[in-house]
Amino acid sequence: MKCAPFEYVRPTSVDEVLAALVAADGEGKILAGGQSLVPVMALRMARPAVIVDINRVEGLAAVERDGDTVHVGALVRHRTLAEQSAHPLLAEAARHIGHAAIRTRGTAGGSIAHADPAAELPVVAVATGATVTAAGARGDRWVAADDLFAGPLMTTLDADEMITGLDVPVPTRWGFAGFARRHGDFALVTVVVAEVRGQVRIAVGGVGAVPLRARAAEAAIGEPVERVAQLVGDELNPTGDLHGSAEFRRGVAVEMARRALASAGI
Amino acid sequence: MNGSPLGTSVPRKEDRRLVTGRGRFVGDLQLPRMRHVAFVRSPVAHARIVSLDAGPAREAGYRVFTQADLGGIVLRAQSALPSYVETGQPALAEGKVRFAGEPVAAVVAADRYRAEDGAELVDVDYATLPPVTVAWDAGAAAVHDEAPDNVLLERTFDAGDVDGVLAGAHLTVERELVTNRHAGNPMECRAGVALFDPADRRLTFWSGTQVPHLVRNMIAELLGLSEGNVRVVAPDVGGGFGVKAVLYPEDVALCAIALQLPGTPVKWVEDRVEHLAAATHARDHRYLLTAGFAADGTLLALRADVTCNVGAYSVYPWTAGIEPLMAGGLLTGPYKLEHYRATVRGVATNTAPSGPYRGVARPASVFAMETLLDDAAARLGMTGVDIRRRNVIRPEDIPYRMPSRLVDDSGHYDECLTKALDAVGYDELRAEQQRRRGTGESPIGIGFACYNELTGLGRAASAGPRMPFRTGHDACTVRVNPDGRVTVFSGVTSQGQGLETTVAQIVADALGVRYDDVDVRIGDTDASLWGFGAFSSRQAVIGGGAAHRSALAARSKVLRLAAGLLEVDPADLQIEDGVVAVVGSPDTTIGLPEVARVAYLESNRLPDGIEPGLEATEFYDPVRGAFAAGAQVAAVEVDRTTGAVRILRYACVEDAGRAMHPQIVDGQIAGSIAQGIGGALYEHLVYDADGNLSTGTLLDYLMPTSAEIPELTIGHVARPAANPLGVRGVGEGGTLGPNAVLAGAVSDALGVRIDELPLSPSVVWTAARRAAEDAGKTPVEPGGRHSD
Repeated sequence: MKCAPFEYVRPTSVDEVLAALVAADGEGKILAGGQSLVPVMALRMARPAVIVDINRVEGLAAVERDGDTVHVGALVRHRTLAEQSAHPLLAEAARHIGHAAIRTRGTAGGSIAHADPAAELPVVAVATGATVTAAGARGDRWVAADDLFAGPLMTTLDADEMITGLDVPVPTRWGFAGFARRHGDFALVTVVVAEVRGQVRIAVGGVGAVPLRARAAEAAIGEPVERVAQLVGDELNPTGDLHGSAEFRRGVAVEMARRALASAGI
Repeated sequence: MNGSPLGTSVPRKEDRRLVTGRGRFVGDLQLPRMRHVAFVRSPVAHARIVSLDAGPAREAGYRVFTQADLGGIVLRAQSALPSYVETGQPALAEGKVRFAGEPVAAVVAADRYRAEDGAELVDVDYATLPPVTVAWDAGAAAVHDEAPDNVLLERTFDAGDVDGVLAGAHLTVERELVTNRHAGNPMECRAGVALFDPADRRLTFWSGTQVPHLVRNMIAELLGLSEGNVRVVAPDVGGGFGVKAVLYPEDVALCAIALQLPGTPVKWVEDRVEHLAAATHARDHRYLLTAGFAADGTLLALRADVTCNVGAYSVYPWTAGIEPLMAGGLLTGPYKLEHYRATVRGVATNTAPSGPYRGVARPASVFAMETLLDDAAARLGMTGVDIRRRNVIRPEDIPYRMPSRLVDDSGHYDECLTKALDAVGYDELRAEQQRRRGTGESPIGIGFACYNELTGLGRAASAGPRMPFRTGHDACTVRVNPDGRVTVFSGVTSQGQGLETTVAQIVADALGVRYDDVDVRIGDTDASLWGFGAFSSRQAVIGGGAAHRSALAARSKVLRLAAGLLEVDPADLQIEDGVVAVVGSPDTTIGLPEVARVAYLESNRLPDGIEPGLEATEFYDPVRGAFAAGAQVAAVEVDRTTGAVRILRYACVEDAGRAMHPQIVDGQIAGSIAQGIGGALYEHLVYDADGNLSTGTLLDYLMPTSAEIPELTIGHVARPAANPLGVRGVGEGGTLGPNAVLAGAVSDALGVRIDELPLSPSVVWTAARRAAEDAGKTPVEPGGRHSD
C-alpha cells in the first residue's frame, strides 16, 4: 500500500496550477486535502503522473455570504464549513463528513471534484442548485451542480480545469437526513431537501451513480409528507451491494426523505 | 508501597513508554543496511501457476525470491486425530494458488515503495480453476489433492441416547444458523525483521508474534538451524487477538530470505490490505441444530452438525481443527446436558486460512446455543431468564463433566446472570418494553448469554487437536541482582494486556519486595527459558503461576542466606518490601541489597552450604484448566425504518477468580466485549463467487469505533480457582457474549428469528419487515413442533 512514483509540483496561483495541469497532459491530479486521493494512490488504484498540490494557492479558503448565496472557496476545509453560520445546511452536512481528522484536511472543492455519489457536499450542491466555478486555460466557466456530476467519481470537467469555488444558495427551509452504518461513514442514503427561491428541491445521494434529483417528489410537494417520501423511493433504481439489498436501500431512502421533509417543515 | 501490590490497580510498567509514544514496535526498528520486502500476491482464488517470470524485475535491479529460490519450504500442521488429513502450506506458492492474497514471490528493495514497484514487474500467468468459497457447497473442486471432498478433519462428539431422547421430547427446536467471518485486525498488523549473521550462523527474528518460543522452535526446524542459534524477539506488540499466534508463510519466507542475504536485515511490515486478505480469518461457520426440551424447559438432548470454513490451509501449527473442535467441545457451554451428539468438520475452501481469533469458535457456538434456548423459551411461554436458570450448571454440580468430557470447575452462572440483570435494570426494561408495544415508538428487546470460558489449559486439557506439542506449561526466572533489585525473565508475552505489570505484581508479592523494584523482561527467547505465549487465556494462570513459583523459590534462597548472615533459623524470617526481619524481633533486619551483595560479591561471607548467585527458575503447569463463568445482558432499541440497532444498556458479570489487577481485568473484559459487538453488528469478510475478497479495506470491513460502543457495566463474581494464585483467564470471555446477546435482543424486540450474522441494518430491516408482514397474517409456526 505504497503509491507508485509520481512527480510533485506545488504552485502558488491558479494560473500556475492550470499550467501544471496542461503540462501534465491529462496525467495530472490536483491534491487538496488528500482524504480520498491519497488512499486510492496508496492502493495504486490511482496512478497520476503529476500531483499538483494546491494548498499554497491563495484566495481559495474563504466562506463569504453574498445576498442569498454563500460563496465557498475550493480550499475551505470541512471543519470550517461545519463551524460557519452563513449557510446552516452546509454546516449540518459538513458535520456528517467522516471524522475530525478528515474534516480538518478535506476540502469543499475536493469533495465536489471527487464526485463520490455517497458524499455529503455533492448532494447539498444538487439540492440547492449550487454553481461551481471552474478555471481553465480559456478562462472561468460556471457549471450548475445538476450538470456537473457525470458518474461515480466522474465530473464533466476537463482534466486541465480546476474548481476554484462554489456558490451555494441559502435555502429558506431545508432538511438533511443521512443513514450510515457507523458514525463517520459515508451514508448509505442521504436525502437533502432545500427550498430555494420558493422552489423545493430534493436530492438523494448514495443510491445512484450521481446525486439524484427526485423530480416527481418535488412536483408533489404539498401532498402529505409520507406520500412525497414514498415518491422519492419510487423514483430510485438502487442496486444491492455489500451493505444490503436494493429494496433495503429504497426503504431507507423513503425514511430519510420523510425525515428530511419533516425536518424542513415541508 | 506498603503491603502486597497484588489485587490493586498499580500503574502499569509498560505505560511510561506506550502512552508517551516511546513504544518499541517492529515497525520502529531501524538497522544499518536494512532492506524491505514486498510480496507478490495471487489476484485470483484458485489457479494453476502456468509461469512466473521474475526476469524483468531482476533486470530492473530487484532481488526476487520464489519458492524454488527458498528451497521449497512447506509448513505442515500436524495432528494425531484419526480423521485429520495432513496438507502442506508452501512458504511461497508453487504450482498452484489456493486463495486470493496468497504470497507467490517476494521482492527485496531499498524501501517499501520500491519493493512494491518491483513486485509489479513480476509477471505471473495464472490458469484459473473453479473456486469454492462456501464450506457447505457440495461438489466443489478440491483445494488439496489429499482431500478430494475438502474435509480436512471431522470428529463426532457422542454422549448418551440423542435420537431416543429427541423422539420423546416435549418440544424439539430445529435451527440452521450461519455466522459471519471475522478478521483479527490488531492496530499493528503483522511485522518482522530478520537478520542472519553468517559468522556464527545466528538468525535473529524480530517479530510481532504472540508466541516467540514456538516461533523459534518452528523456524529452527524449518530452516535447519540450531535452535540455540535462533533468537526471536517480540518487542512491543500492538494487539494480537490470536492472529499473531500463527507462524505464517511470510514469516518463514522472510527468515529464509535473510539466510540468503547474510548480514542484511530484511523487513516486512504488513499493510491493512494484506492483513485483511492474508492474515487468518475466523468464525465462518454453519450450525444445523436439533434440540429437545421438556415442558419445564429442561434441555434434554442436542444434535448438531457444525461445518467450519477453515480456508485454504490448515493453519500452522494449530491445524484446521482449531475452530471445529472448539465448537464441538464447548457448544453446550454452561448448560447441563447428558445426550449430545455433534459432528464437527473443518472444510478447506479458496479463502484465507482460518485460525485462532479471540474466543475461538465460541462467539459462534454460544450464539447457536443461546438461540436454541431463546427459541425454546418463546415456544414454551418461558422467559429467557427462566430457561437459562433451569439449565445452567450450579455450584453444587461442580466439578461438572460436560458431554464433551471437559470438566467445568466454575458453576456460578446463575449468580453472574442475576447480577447482570440487576445491572441493566431488567424489570424496568421489561416494563418499558411493554409500554412501547402498540405505540409507534421503536421497540426494545433484551438479550442474554451465559458462557464458560476455558482458560489456562494444562497438559490434561491442552489447547489444540493432538498436536505434537502440549502447551500446558511456562517457565519464569526471578533474579535478584547484586543491588537487591529484581529482574524477572518471564516466558509470557504481551500485546498490550500489561503482562509486565501483572508478572511484576506477582513476583513482588511472592518474593516480598516493592513493585517498583521489579523489572520484567519478556518476549526475547535469548532472555527467558520457555513460554508458549499468549493464547487460550492462559498467561495469567500459567505464566503467572510460573512467576509465583519462581519468586517463592528465590525467596527461599534469600531467607536461607539471610538466616545464615543473621544466625537465625530461616523459618523465623519474613521479608516485606525488600527487608528481611526476624519475626517477633523487628529490630533484627537485613536488607535485600546486602543479602544480594553477599550472594554475588562477598563470597567470603556466604554461609556454609549456600552457593553464590540469587536466582530461581521454575515451571508451572496447572494440569487442568480453569473455567471462567460469565453472563451478559443487553437491551437494544431497533429502528424498524432503517434496521439500526442501538444498544441502550450492556452488562457483563464474570467469575475472573482473583483479580490481580482489577483495572487490567476490566480492560480485558471491556475490550473483548467491544470486539464482540463489532463482530455481531459490523464486521464481516465477504468473498464474491469468484473468490475475490469484497471487503478488502477498512472502508468495507467495518470495525467498531468508540462511537459504536455503549457504556458497559462490568461486574464480578470472584471465586478463586484451584491454582496457586486463584486466578482465571479473562482475555477472551467478553467476546463470547455479544453475538448471542444482540441477536437475542433484536429477536426479542421484533419477535423474529435471527439466523445469520452480522446484525447489519439490512438484515434487521428485512427481519422487521417480515415481522410486520407476518403480523398481518396467521402466526406462522417456524421450524419446531409441539408433540403434545
